[in-house]
Amino acid sequence: MAEGKRNESLMDRVWKFFISLKLAIFVIIVLAIISIIGTIIEQNQPLEKYRQLYSDGTIRVLEGLGLFDMYHSWWFLLLLVLFTVNLICCTVDRLPRVVKVVRNPKTTLDGNLEKTLGLVDRWKRKGELKALAATYQEALGGAFARPRVTENEGTLHLYAEKGVISRFGVYVTHLSIIIIFLGAIIGNVFGFKGYANIVEGQSASVIPTRGGTNHVDLGFAVRCNKFWVEYYPNGQPKEYSSDLSVIENGREVLRKTIEVNDPLQYKGVWFYQSSYGPAGASTVTVAVRDPDGGGGETVTLSPGRKKEIAGYGTISAVDYQGNFQGLGPALLVVLEKPGNQPAQFWLLKSYPEFDRQRRDSRYLSFAGLNEIFYTGLQVAKDPGVNIVWVGCTLMVVGIMIAFFLSHQRLWIRLSRGGDGRVEVVLAGSTNKNRLVFEKKFEKIQADMKAVKA
Amino acid sequence: MLNVRLFDITTLLFGVASVNYVTALYGKKETIARIGTWICIAAAVVSTAAIGVRWAESYRMGIGRIPVTNLYESLVFFAWSVNLFYLAVEWKYKNRTLGAFVIPIAFGTMLFAWTNESSIQPLVPALQSYWLHAHVITCFVGYAAFAVSAGVAVMYLMKAKREERKLTGGVVALFPSTKILDDLIYKAIIWGFPFLTAGIITGAAWANYAWGTYWSWDPKETWSLIVWLVYAAFLHARVTRGWHGRRAAILSIVGFLATLFCYLGVNLVLSGLHSYGGA
Ligand code: HEM
Repeated sequence: MAEGKRNESLMDRVWKFFISLKLAIFVIIVLAIISIIGTIIEQNQPLEKYRQLYSDGTIRVLEGLGLFDMYHSWWFLLLLVLFTVNLICCTVDRLPRVVKVVRNPKTTLDGNLEKTLGLVDRWKRKGELKALAATYQEALGGAFARPRVTENEGTLHLYAEKGVISRFGVYVTHLSIIIIFLGAIIGNVFGFKGYANIVEGQSASVIPTRGGTNHVDLGFAVRCNKFWVEYYPNGQPKEYSSDLSVIENGREVLRKTIEVNDPLQYKGVWFYQSSYGPAGASTVTVAVRDPDGGGGETVTLSPGRKKEIAGYGTISAVDYQGNFQGLGPALLVVLEKPGNQPAQFWLLKSYPEFDRQRRDSRYLSFAGLNEIFYTGLQVAKDPGVNIVWVGCTLMVVGIMIAFFLSHQRLWIRLSRGGDGRVEVVLAGSTNKNRLVFEKKFEKIQADMKAVKA
Repeated sequence: MLNVRLFDITTLLFGVASVNYVTALYGKKETIARIGTWICIAAAVVSTAAIGVRWAESYRMGIGRIPVTNLYESLVFFAWSVNLFYLAVEWKYKNRTLGAFVIPIAFGTMLFAWTNESSIQPLVPALQSYWLHAHVITCFVGYAAFAVSAGVAVMYLMKAKREERKLTGGVVALFPSTKILDDLIYKAIIWGFPFLTAGIITGAAWANYAWGTYWSWDPKETWSLIVWLVYAAFLHARVTRGWHGRRAAILSIVGFLATLFCYLGVNLVLSGLHSYGGA
């Protein structure tokens, strides 16, 4: 027997530990401190970076404690588990009581209750109990909320309440935290994050994840048709765009131009514009024409390669400028004609006739730069993300309910006094926002006293 | 640019208003404080106009964007919010002594903004997002509420200290009662907390739309979480452990210091993805 009792008290103690708010505040503060440490020690950096900052011994200690990848360490997860268990136990402990209080409100104002209420007023007036009750019921309905009337041993009690839902704001908020955790777990277990560099014209269907240690086969392919950059007048990049196609079973099933902040989604997999770069060397196109307008031919020049133009000479491109002296894109070419010194001159893309000024047997125009890019795509699948957004919405709603609504209750008790008049007692309480409620109470008090039978 | 001129005028107005409120406090001249209120109202009008003008000017430059996207703009928006929040509190509580503790925060912010690059720069692609706008606005309204709370907390500590020593008179005699100050510290926080929460959430939504991860523990994100946790601790300590008065006031000040670090310190001391302070 004694054994059983000790067990019970141990269970009790464990339960008390898990429902205590001291624990909650402690865990919240510890989480804050850990987060601070996580911003001081940079997380998930390459080892070389840490080598620059710390000695080998320090690195070993920090590494061993999981401080380079804190948010995935066992002790951090344990802390989150503790936090969640605390939250759930606390709710299990309190919520049923709140539901009970809300379901069975105290509709009669007895002496004991009256003593616990801060806002109480009493006065006497002539009249008949029932008729007065009806009058006050009407008046309180107009000034606050419609009361219910209970009769108890010749005494009439009116009870009205508002904002019951405010009692649940806290629980909605706490539930939302658990929902967010749930969404995050689902995302981590069933989702993936990867990265794909796709050269223009090529496609990818297998995505490396976890920094390349793993792969996910999408079951469809993504092709990058084109990548381009737009610029502001001052030369700063304005937008990075990729024209993407989704190809499934050899057919294009979706096509979209994505930008930063405007991803593509197919079958729950999202593709985000993330980076870009040159894929191989660029080429340039140059048009070769006769001054009298006839005989055009275009040649494509690769860097460092000379190109022979029959009956004229060889040309090669040696420099490119995006904006040459304010005149727009320009190409520097070297022309070698048999028996002449090599000549070097600029071609301007915006002025295709500019090269006529050489007054030669041919003139050249710069038709364009053919850059080949690869687009860098962040690829992610997160089946938990919508659950996270539901949690987030509930959190804001719950916090607003908890803070800005209050459960306000009013009682009126009518009883026959010794002198034949009716004794009226008005009492009120609120769980929040006392100062505001006091003002309201004063007003209702005045209204009730002034009400005509 | 006209908008910068207008912001400079706003700075000046906050400076004069700060002097007014502080002089009124020590000189016990209500009229001077009342003039301070009118100056703050003027500052509200001028700064609102400045934000509008800046917005319009960005369109005229072919950039076209809401002015809440770099350090300068976030600072003036913060000062704008602090001022409006303060005016609402002053109006509601009919007490102008708060001005001496809150308006200097707005003034200091504007002075700091003044030392920063104020031209309208185009947005890099990552920052072109409605979520970002919602993110900055909600965060800074939250920060403004925390600033007011911390200002009141300082008043509370001053008043409580004098009352403890049973001294009467002094400037604190003009303050609202400690009961009201204590309530106000809490009230400002319960306004700030939902805004900060919404700010963190909209930031997460933005990150998710831009990178596919709503949370990546970058220093700015992490610090906003720290601030959020500090105020969550404040709320729980208050509800259930009866942390009112002195301790609540100190927590409010700690919370605001964390907010300041989140806002400025992270960019000056730590590194991350966020745009302020950097480029
Ligand atoms: C950081 C996460 C948390 C947030 C954002 C949060 C949010 C809130 C909010 C907004 C309130 C209402 C405060 C007020 O009315 O002034 C509250 C109250 C409360 N919270 Fe939390 N909470 C968190 C974590 C926890 C945890 C882990 C527990 C675990 C025991 C807990 C237990 C409580 C309790 C018991 C109350 C008081 C309820 C009452 O007024 O009767 N909270 N919380």
